[in-house]
Amino acid sequence: MTETKAAPTRERAPITARIARVRVASWATAALLVVAVVLAIALQPSLLSPYGIASTFATFLPLVLVAVAQAVVVIGGGLDLSAGAIVALSSVVAVQVMQGSDDRALLGFAVAIGTGLACGLVNGLIVSRLRLQPLIATFATASVFSGLALLVLPTPGGTVPAVLTGTFRQAVAGVPVSVLLVVAVALGWLVVRQLRIMRHIRATGGGPAAAFASLVPVAGAQLASYAFSGIVCGLAGLAVLGNAGSGDPFIGGDLALNSVAAVVIGGVALRGGIGSPIGAIAGAITLALASTILFAIGLPTSWRALASGLVVILALALSALGAPRRQR
Amino acid sequence: MTETSPLVRLSGVRKRYGGVRALQGASLTAASGEVHGLLGPNGSGKSTLGKVLAGSVRPDAATIEIDGEPVRIGSPRAAARLGIAAVYQQLSLIPDLSVEDNLVLGQEPGRAGFLSRREARRRARPVLERLAPALGEVHAEQPVRELAPGQQQLIEIGKALLRQPRILLLDEATASLHRDQVAVVFEITRELRDAGACILFVSHRLDEITDLCDRATILRSGETVAATAVAGIEPDEIVRLMVGDVQAVERDHGARPTGPVRLAVRGLVGGALRGVDLEARAGEIVGLGGLQGQGQSELLLALFGATSSTGEVAIDGDPVRLASPRSAAARGIALVPGDRGSQGTLPPRPIQENLTITSLRARSRAGLLSGARERAAAQSMVEALAIKIGELGDPVSSLSGGNAQKVVFGKWLLTEPVVVLLDDPTKGVDVGAKAEIYRIIRRLADAGATVIINSSEDRELVTVCDRVLVMFEGAIHAELVGDEITEERLVQAALRIGEGAQRRSGAEEAA
Repeated sequence: MTETKAAPTRERAPITARIARVRVASWATAALLVVAVVLAIALQPSLLSPYGIASTFATFLPLVLVAVAQAVVVIGGGLDLSAGAIVALSSVVAVQVMQGSDDRALLGFAVAIGTGLACGLVNGLIVSRLRLQPLIATFATASVFSGLALLVLPTPGGTVPAVLTGTFRQAVAGVPVSVLLVVAVALGWLVVRQLRIMRHIRATGGGPAAAFASLVPVAGAQLASYAFSGIVCGLAGLAVLGNAGSGDPFIGGDLALNSVAAVVIGGVALRGGIGSPIGAIAGAITLALASTILFAIGLPTSWRALASGLVVILALALSALGAPRRQR
Repeated sequence: MTETSPLVRLSGVRKRYGGVRALQGASLTAASGEVHGLLGPNGSGKSTLGKVLAGSVRPDAATIEIDGEPVRIGSPRAAARLGIAAVYQQLSLIPDLSVEDNLVLGQEPGRAGFLSRREARRRARPVLERLAPALGEVHAEQPVRELAPGQQQLIEIGKALLRQPRILLLDEATASLHRDQVAVVFEITRELRDAGACILFVSHRLDEITDLCDRATILRSGETVAATAVAGIEPDEIVRLMVGDVQAVERDHGARPTGPVRLAVRGLVGGALRGVDLEARAGEIVGLGGLQGQGQSELLLALFGATSSTGEVAIDGDPVRLASPRSAAARGIALVPGDRGSQGTLPPRPIQENLTITSLRARSRAGLLSGARERAAAQSMVEALAIKIGELGDPVSSLSGGNAQKVVFGKWLLTEPVVVLLDDPTKGVDVGAKAEIYRIIRRLADAGATVIINSSEDRELVTVCDRVLVMFEGAIHAELVGDEITEERLVQAALRIGEGAQRRSGAEEAA
């Protein structure tokens, strides 16, 4: 390759161009988050008390984690409807292993993550090797994982080691641990996204055929995205335990679908390739605050499901407005 | 150039796609330090042969030797390990990744699984600098989605260069490039050649082949018919090799139609179309010829309102707005697509339903369908077109290719169209069914319809057309009428040999 000095290509785009390139979707995400925070605090000022902040973030943490997991899978061109079931399964397995003993807390940690990883690998192998549609494949495995959770712990119960629940309630230098954990998730992502495999996941979601032709290990990237999702869901299972203090095989419930909503509110395109888990975190917090708001305005319980559905639709419509149009 | 042992040797390459034999024993030998052209008419298998070498098409049978060593190339990754890189017109870029990230895609530098942005930049820089005269103002951090098609094509070439290939396949890689950009790519190609690489070059521009290539392999119907030095060879000789000894094709048409002008198109622009003008008379069968991908399908889709375009279109003198397939159908325009599976039929649904779906409105009263009327209409088409079926209730997927295609014809004939657009209507259809479809087309025209037909087979155009418009890069570049329509003339016109050879197309001047 000969060196040519003519018309050198500028490497760094001017700052203005880079700002202009920030997706409107992320502005919409940020705006929604700000509106939700302001509304929630206005309606329920006690949220700002140290206890309010700590407990709010503690309830957010599982959805935040599952949203990050979901974001990675969706960016990779997939979908993980089993995320909630993985959270439930890894949490009940951990509860049964730990039996409330502090000595076994570390083992419980490893078991929760291992269970999540195993579930993620199952999903990943089904999608990448058997080439089943992610929607159907993970819908089916969700049922399998939920069933397993019921076998491991048929009814809610069991005790979580005090060290886990205690740490969850503590504060470091005045900042609640639950807040630190949410921040840690975001910072952790900033490191993880530098992995080569994350680039491959993004390329696979952005254009599987193009990625394959570019020698990206497409099947490996798919597998890795589900495995990553499984691990993070395992962590979410621990967050659930720390928050609740006991095991519950039904905890998965709406987590998977809420995480999909959070991901879309966060500016991640369901067609893959576009977005970031950071947006998904914002989406998860927005979504969680929305239900706080609905609770705070004293909406009757019977109306809450309907209202939260409408909120999700509104939020999705707003993010869709900002999303880049597909070219014809 | 010194005489070197062949770097690449392919022989006995066979590949079938369903009933179509894309390659039947093709071969190719190319040395390092040479630019080797691959030439052949539509469907000759030149692209498939390249893709076999690049690992993106798995042949049914092939012997491949690199440097005299027999190898198997099962995937693009396997090809890359052998130092083979490929660039196609079909891009393999990720639109939302940056220029730099796309350049290093699949070979990202880094340590312990983490990316090294600095190292990626160090590797991408020389490639970007080399391409800079052709690229113009492009930032390494810019998402590829923001680049013009030509710039994207150059990034695609850059990706291959970054791999420092021993063997580089350029398959129509210059098709979307401006002349100045082509010149830069040629410069780079010659540098690679002089450094000992072997470049396989597929292009539809014959002047590019003669300009760049040292040697060329010529294919016809999936077989290699000649390998020749390019210097000194006459264009007519190339055409003769590409077409071969043609048996006279029985042309099935009578006197030149003299009906009134039915379809008039002026300045049609949009997508791949760069200004199409045409007129077709009632009862006339007009073919769209030229090399594949010159805008023939796009023209038909635009006339059917399936893609957005601007320009004047009139039927029987009345201007038509081509907003959607529904409005086109309302004006009596029908499109029979070549892709039966995805566009032409609903394979799992009954034959009767497939036949009547486009003309339901005419056969329903107050929105209610009449089973008897629907059945009668379907039955009339089955008889008129001699479609071999079991029951009208059987799914279309139970039919052979030829009969399924007749169903597609039938459903559009039931709308009683005045303009019939045919997009490669006999693709994958056996010879007997082809002849029947040609008769249907002729009957349509005799009944007063205007037929516009695009075909991937020149022979088909020779057989059925009263007139052929040869397209090149989104515009009509030559016209053949009546007995002028021969396979040889079609190939000459497609390659712009003869009167058109020196004339650059208007679109290129404007670009």
